[in-house]
Amino acid sequence: MLDALILALALQGQQTVIQTEAPSIVAALTHETVEIREDFVGQELVLYGATRGLTIQDEIVVVLRGPAYDLRVMRKARNFGVWVNSDPLVFADVPSYYAIATSLPLENIASEAELADSRIGLPSLFARQPVTAPPAAAAAAAASATPVEDAVEALPPAGPTSEEVLPYLQAIARAGERQNLYEEAQRGVEVLDGGLFRATISLPPLTPVGDYVADVYLFREGRVIASRSAALRVEKAGLERFIYDFAQTLPWLYGLFCVLLAVLAGYLADLIFNRR
Amino acid sequence: MQIYLPIAEISVNIFLLLGLGGAIGFLSGLFGVGGGFLMTPILMFIGVPPAVAVSTQAPQIVASSFSGALAHWKRKTLDLKMGGLLLAGGVVGSFFGVQLFSYLRSLGQIDLFIGLSYVGFLGVIGGLMLLESVRSILRSRTGQAATTPQRRRRSWVERLPVKMRFPSSGLYISIFPPIAIGFLVGVLAAIMGVGGGFVMVPAMIYILRMPTNVVVGTSLFQILFVTALTTVLQAGQNQTVDIVLAALLIVGGVVGAQFGARAGQLIKAEELRALLAFMVLAVCFKIGLDLVVTPSDLFVVIPVEPQGGS
Repeated sequence: MLDALILALALQGQQTVIQTEAPSIVAALTHETVEIREDFVGQELVLYGATRGLTIQDEIVVVLRGPAYDLRVMRKARNFGVWVNSDPLVFADVPSYYAIATSLPLENIASEAELADSRIGLPSLFARQPVTAPPAAAAAAAASATPVEDAVEALPPAGPTSEEVLPYLQAIARAGERQNLYEEAQRGVEVLDGGLFRATISLPPLTPVGDYVADVYLFREGRVIASRSAALRVEKAGLERFIYDFAQTLPWLYGLFCVLLAVLAGYLADLIFNRR
Repeated sequence: MQIYLPIAEISVNIFLLLGLGGAIGFLSGLFGVGGGFLMTPILMFIGVPPAVAVSTQAPQIVASSFSGALAHWKRKTLDLKMGGLLLAGGVVGSFFGVQLFSYLRSLGQIDLFIGLSYVGFLGVIGGLMLLESVRSILRSRTGQAATTPQRRRRSWVERLPVKMRFPSSGLYISIFPPIAIGFLVGVLAAIMGVGGGFVMVPAMIYILRMPTNVVVGTSLFQILFVTALTTVLQAGQNQTVDIVLAALLIVGGVVGAQFGARAGQLIKAEELRALLAFMVLAVCFKIGLDLVVTPSDLFVVIPVEPQGGS
């Protein structure tokens, strides 16, 4: 009994210390997994959390990132009157999904440099270089007979986005926005009483399958003072999963099964309609 | 009611798919064609990835050609020997087509290639069909008896070596033209998502000079086996066959085809062919336009496929 009391007191003491010394943030998602079933048309996710030491100038930013994949972007060029995909550039590890919710418009929370440091916001998402060389650079590299090793090292410079690469990156952004995969919700974070907050993020119908990470940042005077991550998994479930796994793991058998089903359907059609 | 397609990975209205299957089934019953050349572009238009649209057409054509081939088999209007040769070519063509399909997909040029194939084939076939049917309509209007095609003329086809006798068709010709036609149709099945009847039937009539009563049954026989093989190959190599999508299209298509076949009996054959020709040319024009008109977004973004397949 006495032990418990001492423990409780100790804990309380600790808590007050934390509150004054270091602001912190905790967060959780309403779902740990999102299941894609036959009737999936997108889903609303709620991230709720609590902060300690939240002051009036503090702002909260929530970022949900989807699994990364490599993208090939091609420019359409007219060849003999027909539009042909040409000049491909490959970008590695682009998040397939990127949603951001904030308690204030992002530009009012922190400077661009600070946001870029924490890789927050769509501009930071697209400050990247292609894995393959842009066409002009490749041609230049081919023209000047530089050794292969040097050329490879020179490929992904961490410099600013070049003029030539920029339209490609904008194309990725447009493609993502068209499918509601890249979203910025200003004031999507609702700050409630007592340091509690809530963010609503909607997953679109074309939500990619995979592991997601939700990062929650607490900003004070333009700097991140605390952050926390929560994991989310989006997966196919039920019949969708069964069919997908079947098609992926036993593709040849799956093909045979499709043929059998089709033949059966044709036979049934013959039975039903040609009997009369 | 929306349904999520497990392989296409999009959410589509279930009644839209059933309705599409029914509408295309109606047209295919009406005109006696598979309808793949209409369905594949429409599927792409509603957001099904081109690779999945093309591959998923194959099982749908299996279902529709099976009941057709079965009926011809019962009526003995099927040249099994000729069908076998066409099939031999078709098997090789299908293998070749699926490889080509994988390769072009890895290059990111599959959309263009499918588009160009459509414009080329539909343009030529539709144009020829329109000319032919307009001519026969005019003939029937003026009350002239249809002249029999000039069978007597010796064509280059008859000069080819390795001849074989085809009793059901009453032909004695080289085995190479049937194999070549079968090959072409096999490639088309793999890359265009069509059965290829619209290429094979005219080829059998005008190049092989087969009697018309066995042409349809024999082409359905070849199409059945080639599309069955294409289904297995596309599923095995590219994992692009969506069984849920196929099942919905089959259900709609089977029902629609029955009504189409009944409606077809009310219209004259040559007028039917003229209508079909107009439809083929319309699809050709639409796809051609999409290739030429400046796209709304000048860039395409495609995920890099992990070099998969087993």
